[in-house]
Amino acid sequence: MKLWDIIKTTNSNLLRNKGRSFLTILAILIGSFTIIMTTGINTGVNGYIDRQMESAGGEGYLEIMTSSVADLAMSSDFMGGGDVKEYNPEKDSSAVQYITNKDIEKMRQVKGVESVKQFNALQAEYITRSSSAKKYAIQVSEMPTNSINIDMASGRIVNLSSDVPEIAIPDKFVSPLGFKNKDEAVGQKVKIAVMNQITQRITEHEVTISGIMNASVVGMGRSWLNTAAGTDLYNAMTAGLPAEYKDQSYFAVAQLESGYTSNEKVQEIKDKFKDMGYTAMTVADEVGMIKSFFDAITTVLTIFGAIALVAASIGIVNTLFMAVQERTREIGLMKAMGLGKGKIFTMFSFEAISLGFWGSAIGIGLAYVARAIANSLASQTFLKDLPGFTLIEFNIISLVTVALIVMFIAFLAGTLPARRASKKDPIEALRYE
Amino acid sequence: MNIIATRGLKKSYGKKSSRFDALKGINLDIKEGESVAIIGKSGSGKSTLMHLLALLDKPTEGKVGINGQISSRLKERKINKLRNREFGFVFQQFFMNSNDTVLNNVVLPLKIAGVSGRERKKRAMEALKTVELDDKARSKARNLSGGQKQRVCIARALVNNPKVIFADEPTGNLDSNTGKRVEDLLFSLNVNNGITLIVVTHDQDLAERCDRQIHIKDGLIESDSNRREKEQASEVALPTNRPSKKTGSLPKKRNVKKGAKQ
Repeated sequence: MKLWDIIKTTNSNLLRNKGRSFLTILAILIGSFTIIMTTGINTGVNGYIDRQMESAGGEGYLEIMTSSVADLAMSSDFMGGGDVKEYNPEKDSSAVQYITNKDIEKMRQVKGVESVKQFNALQAEYITRSSSAKKYAIQVSEMPTNSINIDMASGRIVNLSSDVPEIAIPDKFVSPLGFKNKDEAVGQKVKIAVMNQITQRITEHEVTISGIMNASVVGMGRSWLNTAAGTDLYNAMTAGLPAEYKDQSYFAVAQLESGYTSNEKVQEIKDKFKDMGYTAMTVADEVGMIKSFFDAITTVLTIFGAIALVAASIGIVNTLFMAVQERTREIGLMKAMGLGKGKIFTMFSFEAISLGFWGSAIGIGLAYVARAIANSLASQTFLKDLPGFTLIEFNIISLVTVALIVMFIAFLAGTLPARRASKKDPIEALRYE
Repeated sequence: MNIIATRGLKKSYGKKSSRFDALKGINLDIKEGESVAIIGKSGSGKSTLMHLLALLDKPTEGKVGINGQISSRLKERKINKLRNREFGFVFQQFFMNSNDTVLNNVVLPLKIAGVSGRERKKRAMEALKTVELDDKARSKARNLSGGQKQRVCIARALVNNPKVIFADEPTGNLDSNTGKRVEDLLFSLNVNNGITLIVVTHDQDLAERCDRQIHIKDGLIESDSNRREKEQASEVALPTNRPSKKTGSLPKKRNVKKGAKQ
């Protein structure tokens, strides 16, 4: 029997019991659809993050915290779990959690470090154009480095060395603040308000808009201030606090010398910081954390898909066992007419494979439809502010891989019934009862 | 020339205490072009014998020779090929795919043989013409009458131009009129095309039409009337008149009693 004849026979056999074939295909479809969608989301998210990463820059830029803070954030203590443990001043004292000027001095000694400074946590109350205009809540940070590339919609990022207080704001603020368009906002003055931590008195501080930013995961929707503006606000917030208090922060930011920005050199410096009791992270490390978070979610979903596929393959076994049972006589006849065991096995294997093929093919088709719907919904809602972020992306290679894996699983499931069919004794099969 | 021969053929089922000997030693020579009826009650071993002759089963002991080749020495692939090329099968229950067309049913042995599509169709139509059902080629098999179904089965058995057709109770499911038509068809293939016909039956009339009747009882050949040998013997007396097949006589005691131990 020729291969083409086997394939044709296989497909007409599947059509003999349409309902049963359809249900089996449906089960396979659910599994393969889930896997295709989750890998699609993974590709979409990672693709976006990678593109952002490429454009993010941040060469030789490090964010540093003490290792005890970093460990705490990762430990179960943070979630309220963990056992009661003995107090250890080396680890548990709040003194070891802060970065002080003394720490900064130590960090400066590390070879390859160009500059280190405290990263002061700023808390803005609101942004407004004038004291009588509407106020909007805003998150601001002092721009720690100029090595990070920010995707600007208009104007430029803040100039760190300028004496004029400057701010770069996300484009979503443009129309609430009453600007006609992005270009008009650039160069305008706005007010940022902060509250003094002792008196709780709110003061407004004038800053100039240097530029409008496109939304991106790198900035996390924050507005950036230059050093002059940042210092201004920090001073207003902390006026009246003792100098020792002002000296403390949770984070420091460091810029490495230009000769020390290769991956190995950066790793060396990170290791050195580690030995000193600090944890340093690059932009890539931070984005990597977001990535591994998404990876974890999609992995779990993919496992669900795989479980569905396992269940579906049991369905294949079941379907084909029934088919073998029903076609016992036909198998016997074909064997009597000289069809070999191998060909019978091939016939039933092909039946399993084509169940897998149709399941994954329809799964891919539906996934394309679902992708179109999900992407258009997402781009109108929660991804509206992240241009260039397509939630679900497919690539042909992974689609083909999924289809091939599904077909292989189907083949494996089919071997059991196919073996039974190939072992049928023609005489038994043709016996009339 | 012998097309099928057996020596000391034994077949047992089961083991030890539950052992059942279906055939206890069969020696048989079937010549090319012969029509042979294997007759016996159910349980006599006649079906088992046919299965062994058709190489559908392997004997427990003894040998089956096909065209001078010993079957036990042939590889499975070779045996499959042999069955496909040299044998045709007709069963009492037809065994057709009733949801498929007549043509597709007839084509099956050629499909198994790997014959190409166009050639397949041509030969299947020829076979259908032989059984006078070429006008039904496109009909679904389930829409045919019993007699028509059996004729389609004959066409299917015929389509590979086999040397031997095995027919297991070919008229068992048919009324006498349609049964007769199927019989006529089988015997005309035997006479006109020289196809060896091996019929398993307990229908005395059908058996009578065969050249030779082999009675099987309890796994042994009870009697074997070789009419051709008789004819050849009486040819001097009756040179021109070949007796009508219908008027065959009952097997006589003269027949060699075979079986027993070899």
